[in-house]
Amino acid sequence: MGGRPVRSVLDELGMDPDTVLVIRAGELVTRETRLEEADEIEVRPVISGGVG
Amino acid sequence: MKCNRCRGSAVVEVRRHNAAYCKGCFVHVFREQVKRAIKQHDMVRIDDRILVAVSGGKDSLALWDVLLELGYDAAGLYLGLGIGDYSGRSGEVTKAFAAGRGAELIVIDLERDYGFDIPTAGRKGSRSTCAVCGLSKRYVFNRAALEGGFDVIATGHNLDDEAATLLGNTLRWQTGYMARQSPALPGKDGMVKKVKPLFRLSELETAAYAFLRGIDYVVEECPLVAGNTQLRYKDAMNAIEARSPGTKAQFFLGYLERGRPLFTAADDAELSACERCGQPTTGRFCAFCRARAQVVGERLGAPMEDRDVASELADEVMPAEIYGGSP
Repeated sequence: MGGRPVRSVLDELGMDPDTVLVIRAGELVTRETRLEEADEIEVRPVISGGVG
Repeated sequence: MKCNRCRGSAVVEVRRHNAAYCKGCFVHVFREQVKRAIKQHDMVRIDDRILVAVSGGKDSLALWDVLLELGYDAAGLYLGLGIGDYSGRSGEVTKAFAAGRGAELIVIDLERDYGFDIPTAGRKGSRSTCAVCGLSKRYVFNRAALEGGFDVIATGHNLDDEAATLLGNTLRWQTGYMARQSPALPGKDGMVKKVKPLFRLSELETAAYAFLRGIDYVVEECPLVAGNTQLRYKDAMNAIEARSPGTKAQFFLGYLERGRPLFTAADDAELSACERCGQPTTGRFCAFCRARAQVVGERLGAPMEDRDVASELADEVMPAEIYGGSP
């Protein structure tokens, strides 16, 4: 199986997978999804600091 | 990764449940969790009028969406905080959401309706920006719900919010706050019932739900919140959760079941009417009126010349714009 798993990319970026959405081509992907070189992803934080 | 329910291709992983779901199944499971929370804590009845506190962020818009989808009579309340472009964008997405669903939206603006904004209050008052923002929201939401005849206020607090708040309260042993930290606080003495139907769902799940439902929400964090204590507690909880998935849920849900009853017994706070506005408070003046007086330069210490003035202030109609829907 080619490509690199999302988990590995997040590890390299020092990001906790439970604190971000990863979006590829307008779709959510999981940590196990494999990314190809040409793929562009958005890593969107989910943490908010407000209390309501 | 396969969906636990239908074996299709998963798009969301929920590690604390060791589960993953496709889009359709995730939306279903998310709504089931909200239904379970509502039933477990008797949060709302189908004929209740619900006022949803909406900030334009993922949690409150996801909550509003679920309540509307489940058939509840849920109006939104947006409070303009005066935080520059951030507030502008938050108001826009909230109005667009309401318009798209034909839902009623009440808009209140702190500067227009109360004479101050949050950045000014943070600079001039003695409380932190986040503290004065939080107390202003609680005050305005309660007052608007009372004046609008709503049965219950619903907020978008999620599991991460609640776990971080409980951690903070525990670290300082704020037993009164701990006693009152509940997914459903009954109404009493001028306080409208408050519920948090998302308390069983993590921040990742509310964000995924909002995304999968195509909800346009404000992703950017409030520019004034950087480094606040709530974020530090979330970081700490996330560090533990990363190594031990499920810890947050055990901490908060376990507290509700086994810890909170011990603190509730010790909570004997008595509420009376604020002499300035009539809203419930444990002191002579409520925290909102004290904070506002500091910012706008009003003296609260002097006795009111006439109690009628206080009741007039309490009875004054709250300015509000109504967008869409039926009033």
